[in-house]
Amino acid sequence: MIEVRGLKKSIRNGSRTVEILKGIDLSVPRGQFLAVMGASGSGKSTLLGLLAGLDAPTEGEVLVDGTEISQLSEDRLAQVRGKKIGFVFQSYQLIPTLTALENVLLPHELNANGDGKQRATLLLETVGLGDRLHHYPVQLSGGEQQRVALARAFVLEPLIVLADEPTGNLDSNNGQHVLDLLTARQREADTTLVLVTHDKQIADRADRRIFLRDGRIVSDENGRQVNYGD
Amino acid sequence: METDQKPALGWSTAVKIAWRELRASRTKFLFVILSVAIGVASLTGVRGFSESFQKALLDQARSIMAADLSARMFRLTTQQENAKLDALSVAKGVERTSVTEMVSMASLQGDPVPLLVSLKVVDPVRYPFYGTVMLNPAGDLRSLLTDSTVVVDDNLLVRLRAKIGDTLKIGGQFFKIAAVIEKEPDRLTAGIGLGPRVMMTRAAVDRTGLLQQGSRATERYLFKLGPQSGKVGDIRGEIEKILPDAQIADFRETSPALSEGLDHATGLLSLICLVAMVLGAIGVAMAMRAHLQQRIDILAIMKSIGAKSSDILRIYLLQTLLLGVTGGLAGIACGVAVEWALPFFFGKLLPLQPPLRLPVRSVSAAFGTGILTTVLFCLPPLLDVRKIRPNIVLRRAVEGGDTDGKVVFWKRVVENKAQWISVVVIVLALAGIAAALADSMLVGKWFAAALCGLLVVILGLSAVTLRTLRAFLNKTRLHLHSALRHGLANLYRPGNQSAAVLAALGTGVMLILSVFLMQHAIVNRMNTDAATSAANIFLIDISQDEVQGVKDLMLRQPGVEKKFESIPIVSARITSIDGVSVDQLKVKNYPKRLLSSVSVTWADSIPEGVKVLQGKWWQKSDADGLAIVDHVARRLNLHPGSSVYFESGDKAIHTHVAAIYKAEGEHVFARSEFILPSRALHGLPNVWYAAVHVQPSQIPFMERALFAAYPTVTVINIADILSTVQSVVHQITLVIRFLAAFSILSGAIILASSVASTRFRRIREVVVLKTLGATRNRIAAVFSIEFIVLGLLAGMVGVIFANLLSRVLLHKMDVSYHPEFVVSGISVIATAVLAVVTGWVASFRILGQKPLEVLREE
Repeated sequence: MIEVRGLKKSIRNGSRTVEILKGIDLSVPRGQFLAVMGASGSGKSTLLGLLAGLDAPTEGEVLVDGTEISQLSEDRLAQVRGKKIGFVFQSYQLIPTLTALENVLLPHELNANGDGKQRATLLLETVGLGDRLHHYPVQLSGGEQQRVALARAFVLEPLIVLADEPTGNLDSNNGQHVLDLLTARQREADTTLVLVTHDKQIADRADRRIFLRDGRIVSDENGRQVNYGD
Repeated sequence: METDQKPALGWSTAVKIAWRELRASRTKFLFVILSVAIGVASLTGVRGFSESFQKALLDQARSIMAADLSARMFRLTTQQENAKLDALSVAKGVERTSVTEMVSMASLQGDPVPLLVSLKVVDPVRYPFYGTVMLNPAGDLRSLLTDSTVVVDDNLLVRLRAKIGDTLKIGGQFFKIAAVIEKEPDRLTAGIGLGPRVMMTRAAVDRTGLLQQGSRATERYLFKLGPQSGKVGDIRGEIEKILPDAQIADFRETSPALSEGLDHATGLLSLICLVAMVLGAIGVAMAMRAHLQQRIDILAIMKSIGAKSSDILRIYLLQTLLLGVTGGLAGIACGVAVEWALPFFFGKLLPLQPPLRLPVRSVSAAFGTGILTTVLFCLPPLLDVRKIRPNIVLRRAVEGGDTDGKVVFWKRVVENKAQWISVVVIVLALAGIAAALADSMLVGKWFAAALCGLLVVILGLSAVTLRTLRAFLNKTRLHLHSALRHGLANLYRPGNQSAAVLAALGTGVMLILSVFLMQHAIVNRMNTDAATSAANIFLIDISQDEVQGVKDLMLRQPGVEKKFESIPIVSARITSIDGVSVDQLKVKNYPKRLLSSVSVTWADSIPEGVKVLQGKWWQKSDADGLAIVDHVARRLNLHPGSSVYFESGDKAIHTHVAAIYKAEGEHVFARSEFILPSRALHGLPNVWYAAVHVQPSQIPFMERALFAAYPTVTVINIADILSTVQSVVHQITLVIRFLAAFSILSGAIILASSVASTRFRRIREVVVLKTLGATRNRIAAVFSIEFIVLGLLAGMVGVIFANLLSRVLLHKMDVSYHPEFVVSGISVIATAVLAVVTGWVASFRILGQKPLEVLREE
């Protein structure tokens, strides 16, 4: 489902060039729940961004469902994201001027035809927000907002869901609840889930775990060991 | 427990932080600096320019009288009066010269046929104080008019079949014709003499012996005020005391069209300066609010490490001051540049001079006002700093909002007590500044009161409009197209302050459109007053039998407008007023001798160019009624109902004042000070005066044709004076339009800074939409809808209030108001277009923002 080959990313910081990713090779099959772990600055979020085509790599290739996305135009990338990728962010990123239902409906209105209202309502009911359809984000708690974001990520039944610390802003109860919902939906729809986290307990629920350090994969739980400091 | 009252931040640290933030966000603060700069520039350069422009216009008005003041008498001043006038000259620097006008006969050397001429005796060294006597061949009056020469009207050459260089015999003495008078600046205010003009020196007229004690001559004393003379009204009062029987006028009375135009222009120019200043200040406040909103996290961090609200206020107050100073300096540079540059553009048409030195007083006043308004308008957003809680650092609070609108409103009113107080301070300060700045107290007073009232009403109306739209949106939202729904919903984006933006933009539109509507109405009025078709030729001494023939001849002439105004003049004398005989009458500054020979005319309806100020015109030709021109009524103490006895020949006419009127100098009815119903003057001998507009190039041909057919009719050419009036009016309209552009610029900056204030939130929104699959076109559509709706609403609010405001102000200025539907419609559309363009300029590069960069900052 996701193929990454020789992925490198550098940024200019003043007169200096900082290498964030130093050569990543990764293959994530359909339906796998992959946890990406690592310390701050190890390159986790950059990797996630490159997988979604939110930024262009300095070197290497990213294939999403067989399509090489690093060379696509901005609008074409937006379409690929809209149809194939769902997002869950740490700080929810709901549109504040739209209601819960409208937020969930938005990917449908942007990328699909027909009336998605029924499916959006159903998803919100599934995440326990059937009575909050017409509330604005500001009227919802953090946990509720993240559940709206979950419903939004799954509304088009994408092949891939990318989640960046989805429980990072929530207390443990709400975090647990959101994670349960996320994994349940992932299994139900056979979605590929790539989740960035610091939390080992969350990572333990994944099918596979990779650890990043200084822009390289230093450990892959599938058994392939990589020497530290390589 | 000991409490340490010392602030956490010292002044030097506060200055350092303020300066570094400013340096780091130069582009962002460009709006603030521009807003302050425009305000200050309008107060220095534009105002300075408009002052020198007005001075130049007043000089033009003075040239029509050739002086600041004139005193008309039928005698020479006594020694005692001369002493007093000399004392006035020494004490107040008032210069004077005398001009004598009388009638005499003149003939060409070797030709016995004499011609009645109107002699004007001047001192060419001093006369004219303002304007120039234009001669042909071109030359200076001082060098061409000597004790042995005369300069004459072209009309005299036509009548005597003479040419320049010929010798004229006047009072038994011979004078060489040195030049033809092409332009005599005070022709309109000089009395209409009989016959063409001949100008000579005092020594020359003394040589002729024509001027004896008791001669029928009119003395006009012209006065010129010096820099230390003070106000013209005060000097006029002093001269009225010294010369109680003189008829005194000042330059403001020379042309009602011109002085009215000047009054209106002064009011409008003040208004434009105030508008630019207020719009600039609003722009500053909005930009500062945007800046502070983006700084919330940093402010929370500062608070969490021990900074008090007062410390943070200190930093941002310093920053505001730094911005004010930078903007102020930029404004001064721009203003001074405008003051220096504009005379080069407008100087061809008006004798404007660049200032000789930096106008320190006006520059420092503008600088101070700019900084004061900047700090005042920034107070409300600065005070918001106190509400920032340090726990934002840990977690952005997500609170369930109060859904009860009333509760929210009152809670906000109570919470924002300090802001409300600062708003009151702003309003009071604004009123003070407006009152100090307005040259016209009327405009200043109305502007301050109307602006304060309107701001409150517009803010309320904006809030109501947005609430109504939101109610509509809530009912229909899922039926609307998603881009439209999203665009409309964006108006309610947290921190968007759509009501404030709507009010600010609406106010901008209102002010700009008000300036336009008023300018349009006033310019229309001025153009009507000084229409190019106004009479520029007066014909006098037409007998009753000749009137029709002269009219026919004139209308046949090339270059003559198809309009021929004529009035009959009956010579009469006033014998008593309100039962008091003229001998016993006490009149103010009006030579009694004038009452023994007044020009009376008749009209049974209000003639063209006449405006009734008091009383009512009569309806029937046999009514009992008298209309009298306002300045004579004032001097003779006449009012509606006063009784007046006239005698003409052997006929006595007893009548009562029915109306007091003002007459436009360019119309023939201005030549008569008393108008009666036709029956009252029936059967009395009369001569006719006529007025007509002739293309200036055709005037010599017309004069020759008229002389050939009617040799006794005198032509008085005021074409050059009329063209002066028209040129001044043209200048006023041009400058007003130029300065109105400053207001438009301020309005655009406000919009840009208000859009820029939500830039941070917009970027986040763009990124989220992109990650959800939105294309650039889709995002562009959503934002454009938001800008268009904001622009349309602001346009409508502005248009409604502009029409209301203009109506009130124009009514106060005695100018009629007409709704301008096309202009109003265009304004609404233009505001929407401007909103979209400015919105996108201020959102520059938002669409190209890399999502990951923004998400990483979260």
